[in-house]
Amino acid sequence: MAIEEDPEEHELDALYAVVSFAGRRVLEVGCGDGRLTLRYAHAAASVVAIDPDEESVAALAAEGLPNVETRAVGVERVELAPRSIDVVLFAWSL
Amino acid sequence: MVDALRRAHRMLAADGVVVDLHPTAAESAIEVGAEETGYVEAGDAIERHAAADTALAAVLESGLFVVDQVVAFTFYTYGDTIDELREYIEENWNDARLDDETVARTRDALRRTPGARSRTRERVVVTTLRPAGV
Repeated sequence: MAIEEDPEEHELDALYAVVSFAGRRVLEVGCGDGRLTLRYAHAAASVVAIDPDEESVAALAAEGLPNVETRAVGVERVELAPRSIDVVLFAWSL
Repeated sequence: MVDALRRAHRMLAADGVVVDLHPTAAESAIEVGAEETGYVEAGDAIERHAAADTALAAVLESGLFVVDQVVAFTFYTYGDTIDELREYIEENWNDARLDDETVARTRDALRRTPGARSRTRERVVVTTLRPAGV
């Protein structure tokens, strides 16, 4: 199947217009298979990418990005230290 | 949703930012080039997107966050054929479907527009929130 999402990269342009990921610690809530994560993670210091869908999270983990930690969990159960994140990104997940 | 934003607030550094992307409550259109051929029957999507707006409003009202920036963009998803796009929507969007009339109109438009692809058009809002009092 030939499906192509946002080839114009409008989403990334809009994100970069409002936030810088450079050197920042990111929590991405609702990462799915990493469609968006793969586009910005290279700029971040670290990314914790979470999603309750185990299969999708496994697909992102298989990409092997060195600064991306994946967890198959929802935001209601994720355990992170207080004040430890610079950017919380709700990616179509709120 | 409000609880999720409250948890985000606890994890966030003092100079941190919450970024929310979610579609507006507007219907998602099907297009061939600039021609609109119908809309996605989106199940409860409009209510879910409206609920996200309500959650954002609630945390602003509570004084937890302040709005920093708001921008909007258009998100297109392309299918080489309308059948591929229909299958994708019905498998990946919650309770969404395309009706037969929209599919037929899209096929006609594709026949009239050589080289064009069918696509969905969604309007998405990006909102950044910063902890209040910073």
